[in-house]
Amino acid sequence: MHFKRQWSVYLWYLIIFIGLIITILPFWWGVAASFKSNSQIFRDLAPISHKAFLPGFSLDSYFAIFENDFGRSMLNTFFVSITSVAGGLLINSMAGFAFAQFRFKGDNIIFGFVLLSFAVPADAIAIPLFKMMRQIGWFDTFYALIIPMLANGLIIFLYRQFFLGIPKELIEAARVDGLSWFGVFWRICLPLSVPVTLGAGLLLFVFQWESYLWPLIAAPSPELHLIQVTLGRFSTEYEMIWNQQFAASSIAGFLPLVFIYMFQKQFVSALTGVEQK
Amino acid sequence: MNFFKRQWMVPYLFLAPALIGTIAFKLYPIFIGFWESLIYTSFSGGAEKRIFVWFENYQYLFDDKIFWKSLEITAFLTIIINPLQIAMSLGLALLLMRKSKFIRIIRSLYLLPIGIALPIATIIWGLMLDPNQGLINGLIGVFGIPPQPFLVSENQALWCIIAIATWKGVAFWMLFLLAGLEDIPKQYYEAAEIDGATPFQKFRYVTIPQLKRTILFVFVADTAANFVLMVPMIILTKGGPLQSTNVLIYEGYRSGFYYQDWGRSLSIITILTVITLIVIGLQLLFLSEKNEGIKVK
Repeated sequence: MHFKRQWSVYLWYLIIFIGLIITILPFWWGVAASFKSNSQIFRDLAPISHKAFLPGFSLDSYFAIFENDFGRSMLNTFFVSITSVAGGLLINSMAGFAFAQFRFKGDNIIFGFVLLSFAVPADAIAIPLFKMMRQIGWFDTFYALIIPMLANGLIIFLYRQFFLGIPKELIEAARVDGLSWFGVFWRICLPLSVPVTLGAGLLLFVFQWESYLWPLIAAPSPELHLIQVTLGRFSTEYEMIWNQQFAASSIAGFLPLVFIYMFQKQFVSALTGVEQK
Repeated sequence: MNFFKRQWMVPYLFLAPALIGTIAFKLYPIFIGFWESLIYTSFSGGAEKRIFVWFENYQYLFDDKIFWKSLEITAFLTIIINPLQIAMSLGLALLLMRKSKFIRIIRSLYLLPIGIALPIATIIWGLMLDPNQGLINGLIGVFGIPPQPFLVSENQALWCIIAIATWKGVAFWMLFLLAGLEDIPKQYYEAAEIDGATPFQKFRYVTIPQLKRTILFVFVADTAANFVLMVPMIILTKGGPLQSTNVLIYEGYRSGFYYQDWGRSLSIITILTVITLIVIGLQLLFLSEKNEGIKVK
């Protein structure tokens, strides 16, 4: 019995270990290779040696990508992400407040539509949305990158769930004291919602940072390129310059990873709707 | 602030920005997409001319071998990738439920791919799978396996994309299943153990029924996500080699952006949207019905 128990533990560790290698290998190899010269990367691979997994010491690839407009697309991405997060948090929390606090005509139907919109995959509507942007003249502007992404059914839902938990007495007391509804929302409900706001803000940031198809088709000018688009362009234009592709990927991948790990709890509970213990 | 004195307007004012955004940029484009799929744009004589042609764009599609091939590839991909990702996510979630000194760090490491955007994952995997100098061919060479063509082979490219998307996706879907597993009351397992249930019986009669709603959600959301999987095609394969990775969403994208054939492009997108809705509807119908009756809570 004892032996059998041990055996299953070893098997568990073996499977977990193999899975971890598959999960981590691309990261490890990519980051290690980003600090090498191109010829060094290829030397380590053919024939393959343990050196392929040891990081190099050169920063040349990092300097090179910033000469190739990478800094510009990072700034663009920061600008677009921050405005989308701020705007998205504001309008979606307002809508969540409305659904939580009021009973009004058509509330269930409207809420149904909001949930339905969440189920529509963004990439499926990208092409008609692209045509629409051309019609209203937003094509190839920052408007196209930011405004269509603001309203988000998932974020509305998260705020609604949270605001439902705020005691009605608190809100009534504030109303009796003469606070307007906007005051109730702005001064009482929003300050209480820090945990949801962290998770929701992180989600909006990650959605925006990782979006590829929409920025690719909605804003083709190089001055408007976002980080993933530039990355995609690198991989075709500099097909043989692997170290720069690795360096760009490392930078583009680093920031969301740091945020997600810093706020792992809020991120997971925002996504899954389950409070983490 | 006088506005807010009118009580009945208050909720609508709070709703307005998000609601307008949702209708204008999420729901209206579906309608536009369908409407534009009924229009043929001709460029004859230099001037752009739009003609309403009813379902002619669809008729052309149904006579088009490329469309049927694309539909076939989409069907194949859907049938393979979704069960594969769900099974692997569930397996991983179950593995990570085990208690161990290192479980926190192990879980964190397994979540790494969630933080990496699909374009990045695609680029790095593309280099790993490079037929000439890629890491994978180097590694399998150690075991005496000859170099494989991977993404440049008609027979392997789609499987490579399945692998890339699964590497990226499993951790994400696992997160929901893990949350669902942790929500199952421990007493249920203890009760089953007292009754002498084997591990498999516990899985079959406690875990699965309790996890059913989470699994259904993950299955539906994963299916919807994979119907629009196209980043690896845009970056790596361009639908090739020999159209072997030319899924519907990519064919729609290519018809519009490479060939300016918007009628065709949006007909394909409309068909894909309808297929997605039907498949998801069927999943909800068949998988949620059985839940009635054996509900414990």
